[in-house]
Amino acid sequence: MSEQIDKALARKYDAGFVSEIESDTFPIGLDESVIRRISAMKEEPEWMLDWRLQAFRSWQKMKEPDWAHLGYEKVDYQSISYYSAPKSMKDKPQSLAEVDPELLRTYEKLGIPLHEQEMLAGVAVDAVFDSVSVVTTFRAKLEEAGVIFCPISEAIKKYPDLVKKYIGSVVPRSDNFFAALNSAVFTDGSFVYIPKGVRCPMELSTYFRINELNTGQFERTLIIAEEGSHVSYLEGCTAPQRDENQLHAAVVELVAQDNAEIKYSTVQNWYPGDENGKGGIYNFVTKRGICETNAKISWTQVETGSAITWKYPSCILRGDNSVGEFYSVALTRGRQQADTGTKMIHLGKNTKSTIISKGISAGNSSNAYRGLVKMGPKADGARNFTECDSLLIGDKSAAHTFPYIESSNPSAIVEHEATTSKVSDDQLFLCQQRGLDTEKAVSMIVNGFCKEVFKELPMEFAVEAGKLLEISLEGSVG
Amino acid sequence: MSQWLANVLDRASTVNDWLSPVRQTALATLREQAWPTRRTEAWRYTSLHEVAELELAQANSAQSTVNAEAPAIEGLNSLDLVFVDAQPVTDFSKLILPEGVTVTSLHGVNADQQARISKIFNQAKPTHHLFGLVNDVLAEQGVVIDVAAGAEIEQPIRIVNFVTDGVESHHRVLVNVGDNAKVTVIEHGAGNGHSMNTAYAEYVLGSETKLEHYRFAMHGQEAIHMGGSHFKLGEHSRLNSTIVGYGSRLTRIDTDVIHAAEHAFAKMNCIYLLAPKEHFDLHTTIEHAKPNGTSEENARGIVGDKAKAIFNGRIHIHRDAQKTLAELNNRNLLLSRGGQINTKPELEIYADDVQCAHGATVAEIAEEELYYLQTRGIPRSQALVMLNFGFVQELVNQMPNKALSTWLQPLLRERFSAMETK
Repeated sequence: MSEQIDKALARKYDAGFVSEIESDTFPIGLDESVIRRISAMKEEPEWMLDWRLQAFRSWQKMKEPDWAHLGYEKVDYQSISYYSAPKSMKDKPQSLAEVDPELLRTYEKLGIPLHEQEMLAGVAVDAVFDSVSVVTTFRAKLEEAGVIFCPISEAIKKYPDLVKKYIGSVVPRSDNFFAALNSAVFTDGSFVYIPKGVRCPMELSTYFRINELNTGQFERTLIIAEEGSHVSYLEGCTAPQRDENQLHAAVVELVAQDNAEIKYSTVQNWYPGDENGKGGIYNFVTKRGICETNAKISWTQVETGSAITWKYPSCILRGDNSVGEFYSVALTRGRQQADTGTKMIHLGKNTKSTIISKGISAGNSSNAYRGLVKMGPKADGARNFTECDSLLIGDKSAAHTFPYIESSNPSAIVEHEATTSKVSDDQLFLCQQRGLDTEKAVSMIVNGFCKEVFKELPMEFAVEAGKLLEISLEGSVG
Repeated sequence: MSQWLANVLDRASTVNDWLSPVRQTALATLREQAWPTRRTEAWRYTSLHEVAELELAQANSAQSTVNAEAPAIEGLNSLDLVFVDAQPVTDFSKLILPEGVTVTSLHGVNADQQARISKIFNQAKPTHHLFGLVNDVLAEQGVVIDVAAGAEIEQPIRIVNFVTDGVESHHRVLVNVGDNAKVTVIEHGAGNGHSMNTAYAEYVLGSETKLEHYRFAMHGQEAIHMGGSHFKLGEHSRLNSTIVGYGSRLTRIDTDVIHAAEHAFAKMNCIYLLAPKEHFDLHTTIEHAKPNGTSEENARGIVGDKAKAIFNGRIHIHRDAQKTLAELNNRNLLLSRGGQINTKPELEIYADDVQCAHGATVAEIAEEELYYLQTRGIPRSQALVMLNFGFVQELVNQMPNKALSTWLQPLLRERFSAMETK
């Protein structure tokens, strides 16, 4: 068995290549002039710059949070660069043919259906490479339906009223340390607008990749689903293998107006660092959505990467009868540390939320679920169901559960259950009896353990997620 | 730093007794403590602003002349140790003690005992409890109970501490249970008027011991109570603890159960019933430091009117504690608008071959259940009491001491009837 463990520990990070692309990167350091420069590069209107500067000033007064169950060397915010763009971006490619072939090869390696010819995949991709959005496919088809799907930098210029109205409306610019930092220096991200009554004709997808050394990626995503509309959005992430820790501090804001539905799925596979915990992405993400009457927001995440994960996709159930869902699989191995979960804030009547969280810790890793379910005084008839299960693989891994339940409404019902165990010998024995080797058996058991979450993922992602998990688990069986 | 804590630090220098060395260590730690705010995780839901400005008379021996008798409990037949504002009322020298039990006032231990007791002081109580540190520094009065190895004590030992109006007091209990011994200890807090007291108890259990423990926190409407019961479990020892709390404006209880040796078993049941404006904050921690331990915890609470309940139940399984079985369950009923329940069951697990689970619910009594009873001719108000009572009765019934459960039942029932719903 130990041989298998060795094999697993030696497993390479598949997306860990570095692309040799000439890039335009700011010198390291952060002050107001950097923010002004970012804003100027993006040709932003005055109000956007003011907004950024105000965020920066609040950030300067804030302290990095230390309540999470994470141990890491604090980031020196003056030693990273806040802007990096592939050089060829300067002349803005008008079509895919003009995109740096090296860049396209990068995406090919990652298996992103970027080419128009891969249209059959039916996925519109907005790929964010380091700090700028490279290309957005399928735009014409989306425009036909009235859907806007473009880099947020472009939206700021083209649809300033929409951006101005909604940016910071869900995650205020001084919401928390990392959100404030993002608000000050965000470089790009996706903007999605689904007009009233429209069902988005295809799944929208963004692929994030951090390439440049010593850069941070600060993307900002804003999704607005007007009354009665529907959208499913996918997000995937990778980064090259480097010895230094790289910072990723994203903000995602979702607005689901009356009767609208947003489904947001993430497969996060940032570089997790090597077996000794050297390198890897620090992933500090603020994701939050607001649900108006009868609206629904569903978060699904599969987290297998990052050295540090600090992430709590949340739903504010403001409207009556609104629904929030959170499905999560978080797998940590090596020296990875994850502190992730969700917040369900029930404000409206008859609001409902479901939380299914599956944590798997292998190797020397630590995996924590941290969640909040809050029933406000007006949340009559609100319901929550939470299930957090942890699976431990190996005697040096750790699993934690920190659920907060706050109720101020007598008619609200909250149920929480959590279990922690290892892969049971009985289950293993049963599988082995039927001719499966230990590794296959564990993989099967883990897959079954995560099934409830995988079934929430869109088809292509579900396959990818299953594969990712299998690779990550390879030989972690002891 | 609050004014109150500043006064505590000032007064600390006036305490000079045989425990001084351990008190000094606690004082040094206390000096480093920041006064908790709502941002302090352990005090997230409990505001201490009232305590911060508290100025009450300090308990002194003159007050101990107040005549107080332990509440009579039929059939309990306990050995009663009575204190008023932490000052002993019982004359320990006149007690008729069962064979194998030594009871000494914290004040009156001889040199021999001193050496031994300083060794168990702060053995079970961790140093992170702020008011526990205050108690370390200021509690001059209390009791030391020693149960000799092999002694099986049938008579329950009851420690009653009355708190009185306008007084601040600090009380300490130290219990040492020798190998193979068996004993029942009841900590009973009662009183009336606006008072503040800290009461901490430590239990060090030898191997193969059995401890039956009860803590009743019933200090009266205007009382502020900060306390804790802490247990260090020896090999194959068994702990069965029941904690019942209600009736005071602010109560905070911390319990710690430390599985310091293998094959220990701990069972803990907690009941809290709160109205009209009571605030009850219970933090329990179970530390599995050694393998093959088992723990079961059940906490149930009912909150009515504008009362507030906080439950924080932590299970911590250390790296070496393989083959641990741990379960924790917290169930709450919220009866009224304006009431509040905050619960946080926590699991922190560093060993893989373990089975742990926790659950927490907050709910109201189901309309269907009420309807069912009403269709059978039971008035709604009575049906509510029945259902409420049924909810906690299970835990009351599990109390091993029947005299105590018989005494407690009507008290709880009365309280339910008085609770207004919605």
